[in-house]
Amino acid sequence: MKNKVRALRTRQNLAQGRLAEAMGVSRQTINSIENERYTPSLPLALALARYFDVTVEEMFDDQGS
Amino acid sequence: MTKVRSRGITRSKWFLPAFSLVLGLVMLAVSWLGGSPGQGVISLAVLAAFGLIILLAGRSETVRELRGDGRDERFAQIDLQATALSGLAVIVALIVAWLVATARGQSGSPYDWLLAIGGLAYLLAVAWFRWRG
Repeated sequence: MKNKVRALRTRQNLAQGRLAEAMGVSRQTINSIENERYTPSLPLALALARYFDVTVEEMFDDQGS
Repeated sequence: MTKVRSRGITRSKWFLPAFSLVLGLVMLAVSWLGGSPGQGVISLAVLAAFGLIILLAGRSETVRELRGDGRDERFAQIDLQATALSGLAVIVALIVAWLVATARGQSGSPYDWLLAIGGLAYLLAVAWFRWRG
């Protein structure tokens, strides 16, 4: 699924590992989400949106996938 | 509570190494009883070495995921798919073995029993997970 996780993360100069640690997942999981190979669960999507202070709809685009 | 505790145990970095060691000790005991302790010692050595490697190779995320302590939702999904694929491979192998045994005029046992157990386990699992919602 198309998403803005990489854009939001790099805007904050945040490493994948740090974001992964904050979300309680592996760095590979963050990488897979950013590369649109893995669609996160609803709890993780909500946690990501909350972390970057955006809505889930702003972060994920299910129309473009 | 029990479910959470058991999940905690399997997510410990010690679970897989300890399981390997215990399995090695069981194989040693069984081999000893069967009159071939040498084979048991080799099994124990192989499993203990595997457990030690898994325990010490914690820098790799993949090893941590396999071990359990680095497991997250994505790996849980991968684990589920890998388990399903492994099960499919076993079922296909059993069907082929059963067909070959039957074509040779043999009874097809124990492949028929194993296939029946696999089919029954699948049906029970479907019923259980549907019931749980």
